[in-house]
Amino acid sequence: MHVVAEVPSFASVAERHLDDVHAYLVYMTRSREVAEDLTAETFEKALRQWHRFDPRRGSARTWLCRVARTTALDHFRAEQRRRRREHAYVLDQVGEVDDGVFGGLSPELERALASLSAGEREVIALRVLLDLEIESAARVLGISQTACTTRLSRALKKLEERMSADVAA
Amino acid sequence: MSQPDRDSIVEEIRSAQIVAPPGLRARVRALAETAPAAIAARPPHRLSRRRLALVLVPACVAVAAAAALAIGLTRPESSGSRDAVRGEASPTTLPFAAKAAGAGSSRGGAAIPATSGRAQLYEAELTLRVADLSAATKRALRLTRGFHGYVRSVEYGSGADRGSASLVLRVPVGSVQAAIVEYSAIGRIVDQHVSIQDVQPQVDRRFRQLQAQRDLIARLQAKLASPALSAAERDRLEGRLVAARRRLVVLQKQQAALRRQTSYANVSLDLRTKDKEVVVPSEPGRIGRALHRSGQIVADEAKVLVYVLVVGAPFFVLGALVLGGLRLSRRRSEARLLSTS
Repeated sequence: MHVVAEVPSFASVAERHLDDVHAYLVYMTRSREVAEDLTAETFEKALRQWHRFDPRRGSARTWLCRVARTTALDHFRAEQRRRRREHAYVLDQVGEVDDGVFGGLSPELERALASLSAGEREVIALRVLLDLEIESAARVLGISQTACTTRLSRALKKLEERMSADVAA
Repeated sequence: MSQPDRDSIVEEIRSAQIVAPPGLRARVRALAETAPAAIAARPPHRLSRRRLALVLVPACVAVAAAAALAIGLTRPESSGSRDAVRGEASPTTLPFAAKAAGAGSSRGGAAIPATSGRAQLYEAELTLRVADLSAATKRALRLTRGFHGYVRSVEYGSGADRGSASLVLRVPVGSVQAAIVEYSAIGRIVDQHVSIQDVQPQVDRRFRQLQAQRDLIARLQAKLASPALSAAERDRLEGRLVAARRRLVVLQKQQAALRRQTSYANVSLDLRTKDKEVVVPSEPGRIGRALHRSGQIVADEAKVLVYVLVVGAPFFVLGALVLGGLRLSRRRSEARLLSTS
């Protein structure tokens, strides 16, 4: 029997997955303000590319996460260029992260998360926060499922170590 | 505070609530409302690349086969291909002389008479199928002697299945017409060829040269008879006389040789026993020929495809390597960017 996938409307997809996309971008950028701008930019981009979305190749949430990741990468590149121009690396400092940016976690976990790289935070966001399946997460990251699992394991281990060090201090 | 473990960290992260602020939600809603209704996601029934390939490849093969069949049916047949199918049994391979005589007849070879009173080189070639090779050969030799001719060469070979004899006979030109008729009666004519070359102008020219040499010799002898000649002059005239006599001898020999040649005809007689039946494949019909041509076209298409693959393969591999390299480079660049962000 041939199963025909449902084609949702863009409005319903945007309404349903707005929080997920926003949370993912918060994890990647460590900034609510930046994440807000990037989320809006992501949905603008998604609307322009909506005709490319193929429900058989993955869920709308996965597709939106991929668009969000591209948007975030563009943002990081622009930031990198700007920092090079200004010779300033202030954004690398953990102390500049807003309090409670990750949604009201314990201060130790917030600090530990903020100390991770964007690559480590994004795999945690996809697999833990958004609870994406390994296949979907790997597709968003553009890596194999094994690599995705390894990356998540290392990120959680690092998180664990940093929290332990924080508690010990 | 207790040491954090992985499960508790995961639980804490999952329990966290990150909600989009109302302002952002309003922006996105407004954006979605402005989306034109015409923009729709890719319809799910659209063919994927794999399915497209599954459809396109057989379609291309079918088109190629149909084109080959259509060309094979509509292309006019080339004579070369038909000859190749028919083999060597085509009657058009027989020379005109045999056709004039009626190929396959047992008697009545097309013996063209030599023109009497003119010097002509007469050549005749006869191929005969005989039942008894030995008897036929003997009869040919007997006939030659009967016409006051002679045998120049005989090659005789007889095996279990088949045999052949090649005779080169010299027959007086005056009797050649009758001789060919008699030779033709030995067996069934398979092939016959007669060639006549008129050399009378050559004979006449040489006769005039002989006459001129004789006149020259007579004049030289008359001069040498004079007692008033000096010794040097006598020596010179004697030298010329020797050369003229030598030239006369050469011309006489050439004239004699040509006369011998023209007085006898060369008859090449090729006697063969009946060949074993050769199974000649029946000529295919129109449909068969069309299918044959279609097969050739399909083979040509396959050759082109193989050529394209062989020539294009390095470029495909190079392209794949370049794309793979670019992809790897992009991933590494992204990884570096994410690790520093």
